Amino acid sequence: MKTLNQNLTRREFLRGIGRYSLLGLLGWLGLTLGRGLRRGKGTEYVWQIDPEKCTQCGRCATACVLSPSAVKCVHAYVVCGYCNLCGGYHQPNTKTPDTAAENQLCPTAALRRRFIEEPYYQYDVDEALCIGCAKCVKGCGSFGNGSLFLQVRHDRCANCNECAIAAQCPGEAFARVRRSRPYRLRGGVA
Amino acid sequence: MNSGGWEKKVSDILAAMVDGDNGADGKRRDLAVGLSAGLLAVIGAGILLFAYLRPPALTFSESLPGMDGRSPTAPGIEKTVRLGDLFEKGDGAPSLLPGTWPRFRGADFSNIAPVSAPLAESWGTQGPPVLWTVNLGEGHAGAAVANGRVYVMDYDEQRRADLLRCFSLDDGKEIWRRGYTVPVKRNHGMSRTVPAVSGKVVVSMGPRCHVMGVAADTGDFLWGRDLEREMGTRTPDWYTGQCPLIDGDVAVLAPCGTNVLMMGINCADGKTVWTTPLPGKWLMSHTSIAPATIGGKRMYIYAAINGLAGVSAEPEDRGALLWQTEVWKPAVIVPSPVVLPDGRIFLTAGYGAGSLVLKVTREADRFTVREVKTFGPRDGLASEQQTPVFFQGCLFAVLPKDAGPNRNQFACADPEGNILWTSGKETRFGMGPLMVAGDRFLILDDQAVLTMARATSDGFQPMARARILDGQDAWAPFALAGTRLLLRDSRRMACVELGVSPSAARNMRALP
Repeated sequence: MKTLNQNLTRREFLRGIGRYSLLGLLGWLGLTLGRGLRRGKGTEYVWQIDPEKCTQCGRCATACVLSPSAVKCVHAYVVCGYCNLCGGYHQPNTKTPDTAAENQLCPTAALRRRFIEEPYYQYDVDEALCIGCAKCVKGCGSFGNGSLFLQVRHDRCANCNECAIAAQCPGEAFARVRRSRPYRLRGGVA
Repeated sequence: MNSGGWEKKVSDILAAMVDGDNGADGKRRDLAVGLSAGLLAVIGAGILLFAYLRPPALTFSESLPGMDGRSPTAPGIEKTVRLGDLFEKGDGAPSLLPGTWPRFRGADFSNIAPVSAPLAESWGTQGPPVLWTVNLGEGHAGAAVANGRVYVMDYDEQRRADLLRCFSLDDGKEIWRRGYTVPVKRNHGMSRTVPAVSGKVVVSMGPRCHVMGVAADTGDFLWGRDLEREMGTRTPDWYTGQCPLIDGDVAVLAPCGTNVLMMGINCADGKTVWTTPLPGKWLMSHTSIAPATIGGKRMYIYAAINGLAGVSAEPEDRGALLWQTEVWKPAVIVPSPVVLPDGRIFLTAGYGAGSLVLKVTREADRFTVREVKTFGPRDGLASEQQTPVFFQGCLFAVLPKDAGPNRNQFACADPEGNILWTSGKETRFGMGPLMVAGDRFLILDDQAVLTMARATSDGFQPMARARILDGQDAWAPFALAGTRLLLRDSRRMACVELGVSPSAARNMRALP
């Protein structure tokens, strides 16, 4: 049985390194290009919602080609008042602001309430449950600071050329934004 | 072939079933039926067993009260609050200027102020003269003015203390401050009540329902009451917005505690002189008691959470419950009731509640209340935070955020809330205050931009507009003393000269 050292000259060794390095580089380039094409279908732009134009009509939940929708509620914590009675979490006219199912506004219980310290409560969005119906967004806008708002989540969005939600959006809140800045946030951060 | 044997048997059985053969084939048919039924039963039992062992709702979880991690018992204030134990004297001196604004919405609770001198027609590019400003803790507490003194409820976050502060109307220098240590955290501001001043006493209510009676001139502490501890009051979310009312020598409060809806406190010594029993499971709201006269009888009207009541203000039966209703029960109510001359009461609230018009009538000594009209915020006049003003037979308010296309517009409506006109989509406001000063409307938006418009029910006629302060959330009610307007954002209070002689006012600014 031949050993490697016995048959491999220095030239062959260096040539092998060069060959495999070139192969690895080509593979990496191919993977990167393929991933980019798959994610963006070759475009520099993605769909996003302007929170200032959104009318919370509810069509994001039903018009998207994906089910559940690629549109999710997001929370700008810096804007939130951390209130006990939350217009985004609680049904209108709730007299006992707590976590009882009958007092919650979200149809899928995607909004979670957590006591921080008296009198503050934190509200978190469970995106796996959120269907983008905007009920919480509407409640937050009419009752609170407007810290809850809708955004297209790009880990789900198929980035269709003709966005089905944009075609139905009555507020014309959908627009293409640069992939490098894919979100339109409130309060600077979300 | 063996492989075709069972197929033949099944086809024979089926044929027998079709033919109705009652012989040996009939037995086979019965056997087949029995086997089929047995098979179905086994399948059904299997499904049931599967459903029992792995119920489809297994991944569901109940959502019950208390799942937010909060202790079921609400923590109160651990230590007894030593009301009135803080006092500091400043170097300010009371003004000799005329003008008084003794409490929330003015002396007659109308938010309509007669002016002692002509107001400027316009402000020019500089806006009206801002005579002085003072820094305050974050809040929405407005001012009361009497005898050249400006009284403001404030909270000092560093000292963790409620402070009733007294400033000079001349220059804003502080004359004295009286207060007490109590933990209050920022929750859309802290202080949000207007003190009431009458004669020698000023009465204040702190964010957590601590009431003080203080000598109006010297700031001497006269008495204190803790409504949470004494009356079982549940302080509303975002702290109380109830502004005390002084009627004669009695301070009238609505603690909505364990047993008491309303109470009268002797301004001299702080003792309870009368109480009104709580009619139901009512809670303190952010509204204030509205004094009114209906059917020739003076009364106090209070909109609590879960109910509305009229309580006698007449000496012979003061504190007696005259009427009550539970038709008006939004979860949050901030605007106070607006009592119209014919016994109608206009009630409004934000957050989707809309408005309700009631009619209270008197028959002999009995009062009855009936619902006249109810509507949502898109269908008529409504207000989220400020109490509408009734002027020239019309109601005026800034419409709430949920009023649809008319949101945040200044609007005029008939007494039943039907909108007559609005300020238009180019002129929107927010949750700031509005009032009538002589023949002018004064309206403040959230960013402390002051708008002056002609006070008329004939349409929106703007005259001047200027930003007064740089801050946010300028929601505190106005106070107008003479021609001096006191307004604030969440952190600063300003005194603005609205008189016809701005140059004279500017000169006054330089006075010590």
